[in-house]
Amino acid sequence: MQVFKAMMKVTRRWLPSALVYIIVFVVISIFASSSSTKENKFEVTKLDICVFDRDDTPESHALIELIGKNNNLKHLEDDKDVIIDALYYGRVDYALIINEGYAEKLGNGETADLFGSYHIDESFSIVYINQFLEQYTSSVKAYLAMGKPLSEAVASAENVLTQESEVDMFRGNDEGNEHFSVAFSSYFLFMPYILISAVFVVICQVLVVMNRKDLRFRTNCSCIKNTSYSMQLCLGSVAFVMTVWLFLMVVGAFLNKEMYSGRAWLAVLNSFIFSLVVAAIAVLVSCFEPKQNVLNLITQVIGLGMCFLCGVFIPASMLGDNVIAISRFLPAYWYVKANSMIAETEPYSFDSVMQCYMIQLSFAAAMVVLALLVRRVKYSGAAISTSVKKIAANS
Amino acid sequence: MFLHILKYELKNGLRNKDLIIWLILFPIVLGTFFKIAFGSIYEKHDKFSSIPVAIVEVKENPAFRQVIEGMESSEQPFLKASFVDKDKAEKLLENGDVEGIIFLEDKLRLTVKEKDIQETMLKFFIEQYSVRESIAMEAVKEAPEKAQEVIAVLTEETAASCREIPLTQGNPDVYIQYFYNLIAMVAMFGCITGMHITMQNQANLSPHGARNNCSPVPKSLNILACITGSIIMQTVCMVCCVTFLAFVLKVDFGDRLWLVYPSAILGGITGVSFGFFLGSVNRLSEKAKTAVLMSVTMFLLFCSGLMAGNMKGIISEKLPWFNNVNPAAVISDCFYCLNLYENYDRYLTKIATMCGISVIFIVLGFITSRRKKYASI
Repeated sequence: MQVFKAMMKVTRRWLPSALVYIIVFVVISIFASSSSTKENKFEVTKLDICVFDRDDTPESHALIELIGKNNNLKHLEDDKDVIIDALYYGRVDYALIINEGYAEKLGNGETADLFGSYHIDESFSIVYINQFLEQYTSSVKAYLAMGKPLSEAVASAENVLTQESEVDMFRGNDEGNEHFSVAFSSYFLFMPYILISAVFVVICQVLVVMNRKDLRFRTNCSCIKNTSYSMQLCLGSVAFVMTVWLFLMVVGAFLNKEMYSGRAWLAVLNSFIFSLVVAAIAVLVSCFEPKQNVLNLITQVIGLGMCFLCGVFIPASMLGDNVIAISRFLPAYWYVKANSMIAETEPYSFDSVMQCYMIQLSFAAAMVVLALLVRRVKYSGAAISTSVKKIAANS
Repeated sequence: MFLHILKYELKNGLRNKDLIIWLILFPIVLGTFFKIAFGSIYEKHDKFSSIPVAIVEVKENPAFRQVIEGMESSEQPFLKASFVDKDKAEKLLENGDVEGIIFLEDKLRLTVKEKDIQETMLKFFIEQYSVRESIAMEAVKEAPEKAQEVIAVLTEETAASCREIPLTQGNPDVYIQYFYNLIAMVAMFGCITGMHITMQNQANLSPHGARNNCSPVPKSLNILACITGSIIMQTVCMVCCVTFLAFVLKVDFGDRLWLVYPSAILGGITGVSFGFFLGSVNRLSEKAKTAVLMSVTMFLLFCSGLMAGNMKGIISEKLPWFNNVNPAAVISDCFYCLNLYENYDRYLTKIATMCGISVIFIVLGFITSRRKKYASI
């Protein structure tokens, strides 16, 4: 096991880089899991609304109070730049101005130009609050038409608008499977990036070192058999990948606050298969013996690329259809698909999950075959003699 | 001698593969991923579009159907309704084709799958319907003689009570700031080029530095030529980056693209000066210097919103002064101001800040790198 031991020694040197990725991921996951709730009741989305009351009458105060019941009222300086910043960065969803003379106009049954709203685009929140204001003014107007005085009409409108209707959640469950909640599934969702980064940083670097020409030539002329050498390298790579995967699974169990059960095991198996895929890609990449700076770029391209394209960083539903069409050719797409099915954010079917597993495994197998081909071509007698000649010519 | 050193500095830079990889190739790759990922979110998710909803008529309700049909004929309808049976509706909801199902029973009942603003708006819609119903009922009960008038008020088309005051003509897509931060990242990565100036002039760090130290050229002249070379290379990288984003990825920087270029170049100069200062302030090895620079730069970029888009908004609420001194935030703010603000006041303040930061760093870098003598190495 000399080769295996040597490999472990080199691994130790690159371990800190992998640890940085893993530790950052675990810390972020701990924060993310502590903020998620298991409450499954419909709650209205509370918007952050800033009101500039230029009328300052009991009627305008009543409206502000009503808005504040279902939304968060925020205070902003009445400055254009400050408002643009707040609207753009989403600190405020709606900036409402109650125009001067609001109460008077409302009392006369006029509804035009009662309010103003600063806006930078036509978002859902703008349409929602505009509708709300229309509803409010038309209710007040209706009560006025009934012959009620303004103050009473405002109070009645408030009364009628605060009546809430019940909303049912579909199948009473949007939190995922009982053994694998949507909140917990996000831990598995982000795992591909970490697996790719951590595994590439170590395995590719180590394999590149082990395949360095001088080391390779020295090993080739030693008495160790080629198969044994390759097997030991494989064993070393698998041992590292499995250690990283196991560590992430143990952390996952702690975050889940209980041992995996039921369908969660399917997610565990899914991540296991994906780590095999990652290992296979790492082996393939290292066959090309990239330099360290090129390798870093390849790691980022593969890691970020797969995660952006396949719905890890951005939910697949938000990606364009042509992006999805391309991402079907990447293993992470099938990993994410299986993960969403297990968490029931997509309709679950055992056969489809199995299909995702099989596709990922086929990717792994294809990578291994490609890696073997590349190695065969690169380290064939002809290729070695050419490179020996080159070295001899240079020296 | 200045031109001689400058020439070799440029040649050196051109042969440096790290520079090409991290300052030209990596931004192109990351920019492409950003475009793929964030390109359609704003249109699909943030910008208002009719909310798809399935309606199941458990009981006939012609009045409701009329409301829906009336609404759908408007220019930008609130709902996109499809009347289907229960099974089909549930299937549509499960697949995410509709945001909710409205069941027309004695009362309207809403079933949703998620808890976003669209669902809140659907809830508001059915409440709106029942509010009108209960006001009409109240009118019939309390003032039957005025009931007709009340119903007319409730159903009439009135002038919009809310006048919209647009604050900007710029691109309101919030995800575009990832591209601003990408340019800021390239600019800040200029610190590595800046650091190489110190590497080449500090005798304990490289043979090149040792050679330069015993040459008869004044150190100030040597450093000045190196800084000029670094700035020229950084400028090329910044121009490549902005051109790629604006013309290949077609990122909308607003209508003042001609000002985006000089701002990005100035950002690059800030990055180089930052690296020059941090490189010369200590005598650490190249690896340690790179580690310190990259950690500081990544932290500044994180605060500016490269990893989480709303970070700058959060910081402007909690620590507003930090956004004004964080070079990464100042650089990305320049593009933000050019896009959204009509006047140039804030943009010019940002430019002045960048100039100030660059001058301070370069002067401090010069001060800290002078009089460093090595008796023996």
